[in-house]
Amino acid sequence: MALPLNYSLRNALVRWRSTIATVLGIALVVFVFVLLQSLAAGIEKSSSNTGDPRNIMVVRKGSTAESASLISRQTLTEIRYFEEIARNENGEPIISADVLVLASLPRRDGSGEANVLLRGVTARGLELRPQVKISEGRWFEAGKREIVVSAKLAKRFANFDIGQSFKTGSATFTVVGWLEGGGSAFDSECWLDADECLSTFERDMYSSFLIQPSDEGAGEKLIARIEADRRFKLKAEKEVEYYRKQTMTAAPIKWLGGFLAVMMSVGAVFAAMNTMYAAVGARTREIGTLRVLGFRRRSVVAALLLEGGLLALVGGVLGCAIAFYWNGYTTATMGMETFSEIVFEFRVTPKLVVEGLVFAFIVGLIGTLFPAIRAARLPVILALKSI
Amino acid sequence: MSANIVTIRSLSKIYQQGDINVTALDKISLDIASGEFLSLMGPSGSGKSTLLHIIAGIDRPTKGECRVQGIDVAKLNESQLADWRNQNVGFVFQTFNLIPVLTAYENVELPLLLTRMNRAERRKQVETALEIVGLADRAKHLPKQLSGGQEQRVAIARALVTDPALVVADEPTGNLDSHSAQEVLGVLRTLSHDAGKTVIMVTHDPKAAAFGSRQIHLEKGELSK
Amino acid sequence: MNLPSFILKNALRNKRRALLSVLSVAMSLFLLVTLQVALRELTNPINDEGSSLRIIVRNKVSLAQPLPARQLQTLDRIPGIVAVTPFSFYGGLYKGDEKFTSFAQFAIDPQRALPLISDAKGVTKEQLDAWSADRTSCILGKMTADRYGLKVGDRMQFTGQIYPCDLELKIAGIYYGTADDRNLMFHQKYLDELLGNPGTVGTWWLLAASIAEAPLVTDRINKTFANTSAEVRAESERAFVLGFVSMWANIKTLIGGISIVVVFALILVTVSTMSMAIRERFRELAILKAIGFKRRELFVLILAESFGLAMFGALIGAGGAWVLFNNINIQKMTSGMFLMFEVTPQMLGLAFAVAALLGLLSAVLPMINVARISVVQGLKTLD
Repeated sequence: MALPLNYSLRNALVRWRSTIATVLGIALVVFVFVLLQSLAAGIEKSSSNTGDPRNIMVVRKGSTAESASLISRQTLTEIRYFEEIARNENGEPIISADVLVLASLPRRDGSGEANVLLRGVTARGLELRPQVKISEGRWFEAGKREIVVSAKLAKRFANFDIGQSFKTGSATFTVVGWLEGGGSAFDSECWLDADECLSTFERDMYSSFLIQPSDEGAGEKLIARIEADRRFKLKAEKEVEYYRKQTMTAAPIKWLGGFLAVMMSVGAVFAAMNTMYAAVGARTREIGTLRVLGFRRRSVVAALLLEGGLLALVGGVLGCAIAFYWNGYTTATMGMETFSEIVFEFRVTPKLVVEGLVFAFIVGLIGTLFPAIRAARLPVILALKSI
Repeated sequence: MSANIVTIRSLSKIYQQGDINVTALDKISLDIASGEFLSLMGPSGSGKSTLLHIIAGIDRPTKGECRVQGIDVAKLNESQLADWRNQNVGFVFQTFNLIPVLTAYENVELPLLLTRMNRAERRKQVETALEIVGLADRAKHLPKQLSGGQEQRVAIARALVTDPALVVADEPTGNLDSHSAQEVLGVLRTLSHDAGKTVIMVTHDPKAAAFGSRQIHLEKGELSK
Repeated sequence: MNLPSFILKNALRNKRRALLSVLSVAMSLFLLVTLQVALRELTNPINDEGSSLRIIVRNKVSLAQPLPARQLQTLDRIPGIVAVTPFSFYGGLYKGDEKFTSFAQFAIDPQRALPLISDAKGVTKEQLDAWSADRTSCILGKMTADRYGLKVGDRMQFTGQIYPCDLELKIAGIYYGTADDRNLMFHQKYLDELLGNPGTVGTWWLLAASIAEAPLVTDRINKTFANTSAEVRAESERAFVLGFVSMWANIKTLIGGISIVVVFALILVTVSTMSMAIRERFRELAILKAIGFKRRELFVLILAESFGLAMFGALIGAGGAWVLFNNINIQKMTSGMFLMFEVTPQMLGLAFAVAALLGLLSAVLPMINVARISVVQGLKTLD
């Protein structure tokens, strides 16, 4: 015969002071866990959100990121006319040779400088990335020293408002538009004309190629062909694959989240155990009475476990709720691949919420298990004698 | 006979219980002589414990005065009262109230920690007190290793270790079997007879009350005689 | 018996609870110290005198933008500079490492760099000469050498992640005693050769004549190259590292914030359990009061107990962190992500201050109750 749920519930409410402390303690543990994981999830999400599954990305073999890759102009002229590459109505191959440059620019709040990733692109580059849209202003015009900055970066860097201008390299650029990358990695970039980018920063090499193959099969062939050519030393892969692998920034955050969660939960288990031992101690006589009335040991254990589990679950829900407050909140750090400022959002995913709740429940159960077993082991007579 | 140690004049105690005023003591006057063993009797709620608490200085009267050894206890502040209790009053409770983590010896020694006595002086006092209650051989035992009667005798030793003039006992036999109760009451009687202490005992057991040299009945906050 | 031993007996009355309380305090303070150590490691720049003397000159655009090699002649003429060398971060992947190589490889000019690496010990005169003479050789920090089990004469292969060339280097010497004993130094000339002499370097690394001179030198350099095709940013090594730290942006704040949450959670839970331990003895406190203990003395009893437990927890937690981080090879454990992992006296101070606050707070609630409730009530409450 099981004890009613109300029994567990009311007992928790009677000790409301320590109940609140335990619930809040567990809530904070879950909060830290979910928040950090949501940060990692946000970084991963912005990577996995990026790119078109049809496109092929080409970088130098050995480079961890586009921004650290160099490809000669000669390579472009050779690859350009590969028959696997799709062509537009004018018969031009759909290939975008991009130039990526890191520019150290002052922050809006005056707290020093940070690197911003500038991408020099051509008209093809814009066509190949339809997920990038202008949210305000207009696209840049070639030859006019104009630049389009990410709307999200604009909030973080000085002189990024439309109409303002900033100097980098040998040129002064005027901001003519804000771009919106739809939660992709492009939200952390500024775009300008590729040729202008080459001349301003005295570069004679491209960073990466983005290619649209004529069809699926051609894509596979193109990858094989580029990789096999010893002259190029290039790495070709699907654009989405490339971005999906850009997770170096998320890894240490995930690790930190896990580490903190484990350490804090050990502390929380100790505290929960303390609370439940005290609860059992104070109820010795009551538990004895229940046993006399005919409740089995396992009913007593179950009721206590339920009590601990319930408390923890409430804590878990609360922790997730606090973390959810930050859901969608935009934040930034230095990307480990690009060494530039990457902007992303906290993402409290359903998976994280479930993980947080399960985590809390386990903390509650472990914290309650030993006190519950102790309660069940108390001889009935002793329980009744206890004052 | 010696002078009165306690003089009580039209003493009243009114409790606030929600919106209702409960009169626990109603204009009581009473004299207790030095060396007396007074039994305070009466049913539950008659005010006997309240009276005891006021005499012992752990509760304050609403009106009237209670002088112990000529001192108006109600006029002392919290801190003075604590010192006064430490020096003049010994307590014995129904539930013994020994500190479970301390040995019998250490429990008895507890009130002496508040005095200026050195270790050797304390030892002498504690041993004497344990001697009086007949438990010198149990000094090293923890409360849970003692029987109820023994626990209560340790509590009595603790009450008299500071050599107070007054020993108050609230239902000291309430939690004891009749044999242990006899022992405890015997000790209390010895205290008043041989050591000259004034003992005031609250009880509702007529057999226990019979040990006293005088018995007083309280009914609804008044002395009924 | 005396009062201290009475307090001790009280604290240990419920040994399991005392242990759990101490452990949860210890655990949380351990965590606090660990976070502080990690945060310091991420954000605190090297702070020796040398880091103010050494100057790094990078392209004003960003660190990733190269500088023209011809700037060297101009730099040589600027007064106040003792030594100047090319300093290019090669950033290669060491053969065998999977994704990430934790030590840096810098291309320099060994002759010119000598005054800058004068604090490096363990490299003999002959080894230095051999290094200078052999374009394909390098000197390696002892930490890295130990980690990979490398010795003088061994060869190391790298895949270029930033530069489009691979490297094979012979170890000419192994040094220690610098601020960062992980790095590898090789010839800029060799790098130039592999790249086909592009006429660029990563950055310039130079030594100012004195600390007073250093800011003047950086000023002169910045002015000299202003309005040229490659404008520069010269700053002390210290300022350079600080600038790098500022790029971590919100992550710093986040870790700081989490430290606060951890401390708060700890205070909450511990205060609750420790107050509970005292609340359960309410009746005993009332008896002590009846016996003649004054409020002040009871406060001392309560405070000493919770204070003692909290301090003991701090001793285990913060002290444990101190002992642990002093004795483990953190570099090995985190594959070189963390270097020193040093627990500073300030951190220990913080941990103990938090513990003191904890002890105080857990005593406050029971103390208020003790002060408020009379003996008679105290005796009744738990009857």
